[in-house]
Amino acid sequence: MAKEIVASETNATIGFLKRRWKRFALVMTLFAIGVFVFLVLNIALGSVNIPLSDTVKSIFGGHSSQSTFDSIIWQIRLPRAFGALLSGAALAVAGLLLQVFFRNPIVDPFILGVSSGATFMVAIAMLGTYLLGATVVSSLTLSMASFLGAVLVMLVALAVAVRVRDIITLLVIGLMTGYVVSALSSFLIAFAQSENIHRFVIWTMGSFSGFRWDHVQWLTIAGIPLMAGSYLMSKQLNAFLLGENYARSMGVNVKIFRYLIIFLSCTLTAIVTAFAGPVAFIGLAVPHLARLSLGTSDSRVLIPASILGGAMLTSLCDLLARMLFAPVELPVSATTAIFGAPMVIFFLIRRKTTI
Amino acid sequence: MILNTKNLRVGYGKKTVVADINIEAMKGQFICLLGPNGSGKSTILKTIVHMLAPLGGGVYLNGQNISSLSNLEIAKTTAVVLTESISPGLMTAYDIVMLGRHPYTGFTGKPTVEDTQKALDALKMVHADNIALRYFGELSDGEKQKTMLARALAQEPQLIVLDEPTSHLDARHRIEVMLILRQLTQKKKVTVIASLHDIDLVMKACDIAILVKDENILAYGAPEDVLDEKSMARLYDMDKAVFSSYLGGVELRSNGYGNVFVVAGAGSGARLYRALVKHGFGIITGVLPENDIDFHIARAVGATVVSDKPYADISPDAYAQAQSLMSNVKFVIDAGFPIAFSNRQNIDLLRYASEKGKSIYTLRDPDEAAKIYGDDAGRFVYCQNLRQFLDVLLKAENLIE
Repeated sequence: MAKEIVASETNATIGFLKRRWKRFALVMTLFAIGVFVFLVLNIALGSVNIPLSDTVKSIFGGHSSQSTFDSIIWQIRLPRAFGALLSGAALAVAGLLLQVFFRNPIVDPFILGVSSGATFMVAIAMLGTYLLGATVVSSLTLSMASFLGAVLVMLVALAVAVRVRDIITLLVIGLMTGYVVSALSSFLIAFAQSENIHRFVIWTMGSFSGFRWDHVQWLTIAGIPLMAGSYLMSKQLNAFLLGENYARSMGVNVKIFRYLIIFLSCTLTAIVTAFAGPVAFIGLAVPHLARLSLGTSDSRVLIPASILGGAMLTSLCDLLARMLFAPVELPVSATTAIFGAPMVIFFLIRRKTTI
Repeated sequence: MILNTKNLRVGYGKKTVVADINIEAMKGQFICLLGPNGSGKSTILKTIVHMLAPLGGGVYLNGQNISSLSNLEIAKTTAVVLTESISPGLMTAYDIVMLGRHPYTGFTGKPTVEDTQKALDALKMVHADNIALRYFGELSDGEKQKTMLARALAQEPQLIVLDEPTSHLDARHRIEVMLILRQLTQKKKVTVIASLHDIDLVMKACDIAILVKDENILAYGAPEDVLDEKSMARLYDMDKAVFSSYLGGVELRSNGYGNVFVVAGAGSGARLYRALVKHGFGIITGVLPENDIDFHIARAVGATVVSDKPYADISPDAYAQAQSLMSNVKFVIDAGFPIAFSNRQNIDLLRYASEKGKSIYTLRDPDEAAKIYGDDAGRFVYCQNLRQFLDVLLKAENLIE
């Protein structure tokens, strides 16, 4: 009889694992459908509403009923929609990596000060150059400044990562770096002209407006390999769920892992921030949404789900940012928080266990 | 030999915590480290699993210096259970155990059927297959510890190193964990090195005990040889408690002056001594043969013991000593000892006390007492159980004072 009981426990486990894979597949399918739906809506809806048939025709290489539709779709809406989609995916992955790395659920991609670094350099570009006599700053300059700032902060984090014994120290040092750099930005604001400040403040809240094909290209070239690289880390990430000491005891090379995580998450964040500014909340909320709807912390499914979830939620938020008070466009960070936070709270309250 | 250390010196940075550590861990041995908190047990354990670099000497795993091995190579021979609590998020106990397969799975970490089977086997071995599908965060401390143990087993190690695996556990899980470890060493021939605080369980389950204190290894050997009253008193600086190797446990020592005389024997005094010590009485007891369980307990709790050679009548000297000690006490207690030929003089002792006007408290049944003591039994104070007995005694003591 004891043997039968043991056998039934084994079968129960195997049955559970099968049901769980079905759940994973279902959630991912729903996310993928969501991504597609919001993508199409993002292309069809706007100050000029384009009929769905024309939208689909135009996307798939045909010609819609009006040539203006084609140019709106191809020059404005498509790059922006893909920009939002890719940025959301990248931020969600970056957030997930750092949440696992720091074993802390309230960590977001900007925790190491990447956005503060980007913001500071953009502040120099927008506000500082005025002091030097420049009048207009190109968007390319802003992107480069932002990326440079983010990478500089990442280098600080990498330099610190070797020297500290435990990861929490790294987390605190990252936070402190962020504060110092933000303080430097506020110096610049104090000396800047008010119209520049308005532009700057809008930039700090993130936006996908003005996204061009070359931006999308950069995001694709850099972002997709980085996301794929993150997926290849999922085995190590899972070991890290038990903490650094256990991970080491299971054979993970902790030093290399620290470098890779910081590099991957900061670079992903840096390229998004370069084109869209610091888009808040996606990197914090999406990993939770993915975790809670899948019911697992296993990175092997969590990373693909975060990619889809990030793409979906960011597409939705950009749609709302454009449409809610059209023709006034909201900063995207406003909609991400307003619609993302209640979702996370809802899922959390339904859950009994800790995340 | 699975693991050995040669003149190992462990510590942090420049600070040496323990030096001159020479451990030789054989296949299937259960080795434990005993010592007060902060004595360096954890530091030793962390160093032998290569979480800390040695400050001097070396650690050898199957004869190879551990510094020359990669984390992955070490992971295939050594698994750990640490004290740090983990919060892995939404992972079931099964998922956690499956992480133990990490050194063996491929690049993506996808488990094979064999891995699944090994994870399930590991859960079974620690009697945790019934919790496999529950989230780790929802488990009790004992279930969590069993899960972590199963995770270590799934790693198929030759050596498991555990830092205080029984802390925070209830009595049942504490014993269960020890039994599982014992079984692993005997059946699977896994070597276990653990730091523990349960002296009694160490005595009963381990093969080798290593006593660590004040930057030194105090003793190294079989617990039967190493653990005794002296070494334990030195290890833990105990003066209010005593470890008795005969009893295999710790007894609290009485700190009162001798105000109670207990006539006991053959185990009748065991619970009584402990209860009296707990309430602050100082005990004198006798006459006990030196092979009596009461003799060992009485000594361990710090009672003044009047004893005599076993297997013989009580000698006139011992009897006289008991009489004189009895004259100064406030209470005389008859523990209700079974009466045999060799201890019949203890009956006389109680009769003598009664004639001297002492109140005698007894746990015996009044009818039985009447048979044994005759008319004297009428003056005895009878108590049905230990609680009542203590109440009476404590009340009487207050009246006297």
